[in-house]
Amino acid sequence: MMLDLAGLAEDLRRITVEVTDQPDQALGSGVLWPPGYVVTNAHVVRRPRVTLQLVDGRRLTGELLARDADADLALIRAPGAGMPVATLGDPDAARIGSLVVAVGHPRGVRAALTAGIIHAIGPIVHGGVSWIQADLRLAPGNSGGPLADAAGRVVGLNARVAGSLALAVPMSQVRRFVRAAGVA
Amino acid sequence: MDGLLNLSNDLAAAVERAGRVAFGVNGRARLGSTGVHWRRGLVVTADHTVHVDDEVSLTRPDGRTVTARVAGRDPTIDVAVLRVDAPDVEVADVASSDTVRVGHIVLALGSGPRVSWGVVSAIGGGRRGLRSAATGDMLHLDLTLYPGFSGGPLVDVQGRVVGINTSGASRHLQVAIPAAAVDRVVDELERRGRIPRAYLGVSTQQVRLPEALRQQINLDQQTAVVVVEVQPGSPAAAAGLLVGDVVVSLGGIRITDPTDLRTALRPDRVGERTVASVLRGGEPRDVPVDVGERPRRADAR
Repeated sequence: MMLDLAGLAEDLRRITVEVTDQPDQALGSGVLWPPGYVVTNAHVVRRPRVTLQLVDGRRLTGELLARDADADLALIRAPGAGMPVATLGDPDAARIGSLVVAVGHPRGVRAALTAGIIHAIGPIVHGGVSWIQADLRLAPGNSGGPLADAAGRVVGLNARVAGSLALAVPMSQVRRFVRAAGVA
Repeated sequence: MDGLLNLSNDLAAAVERAGRVAFGVNGRARLGSTGVHWRRGLVVTADHTVHVDDEVSLTRPDGRTVTARVAGRDPTIDVAVLRVDAPDVEVADVASSDTVRVGHIVLALGSGPRVSWGVVSAIGGGRRGLRSAATGDMLHLDLTLYPGFSGGPLVDVQGRVVGINTSGASRHLQVAIPAAAVDRVVDELERRGRIPRAYLGVSTQQVRLPEALRQQINLDQQTAVVVVEVQPGSPAAAAGLLVGDVVVSLGGIRITDPTDLRTALRPDRVGERTVASVLRGGEPRDVPVDVGERPRRADAR
């Protein structure tokens, strides 16, 4: 059986950007989606203008369009980012135990891949918000980057770590946020 | 990427399958644990997570609550067996232990289900902390056992149960009790109606074996245990074991410290004649001993 994690990593790197909102600031990650935009975590961007770096080395200036600190989501206009953009998966169809991978810039290591499985889907505290919980290693710098299934479809935006669990905002929630911002 | 997708689907299917036999166990304050419907009406969990001696509340795979009774315990390998009436809940497909190999991908389940994955990193072995000989080769895991995972199933990629996870032994060491060891305990329970505690009637302390002596009698272990007390009327007394005897093995199982001795005294050994290999006055000798059953006290746990 051929396990092409390298191919998966390659595909995901193309839709993952580096996000910084001030010089010398630690790197965050973002996902190219929808076309011409980048979604990331609110805690990654706090200023109206951000610097985006694509995998091919191009640097763009992005404009913060919408930010929701409670949902920990931000939408950045990135004209000229071009293609490709992320293919989204349906988080509601994600199965517990299925493979997931994350791409991001943990502790400044650029476009690093980590692999794991879906641990559970739901709140981590009673009555809290719903997360995709993954048995997968994340570190600062992964924030805002993609959590994708074995077919490379993005199912969540990596946002937090709880103990050794990775927590990602389900893409269904990201879609709603983007739609509420008047895009897509 | 078909290979990845297939693996992903296999893992998810294995979780679904194993999730149908996993119970939540509410046997201690604060943090619950997990159990496995091992045989019809019998749920196996980690002994260290069951702090009560009679009734335990369980959460079935469908979320309903049911009351179970503690049917027996074997603290030597951290297994408790609970009796429950849940005829409609599926029984685990227990894999024979010899199918497990180092490097295999395995999944650990907590009730819910919640799940983690990793690989079998070692089986048995001879280092400290591995009670391999006595427990039938503990499975050492490279995976995360999340809070509440103790007592839950370790399953292969086909969803077959290969062991019971426990973090009871150590915070840092993730281990699973192999299915064969659990089977032995459950067999005992079904045969006798309870799980007896095997007993010799000695108190021991670890001793270091002098290098010269080790070479002279060709022993590769560094330590053994010295008998510091023999209880009158006990199997050890009947066998003629003496204070000062150094026990190096029991029934062919190497004894390097008192824990080794406890784990060697498995429930199924009760009533069995075995041989204690001892050093008495520096001379090796084999002492036949009949393993007894620990007298039950009113306050015994």
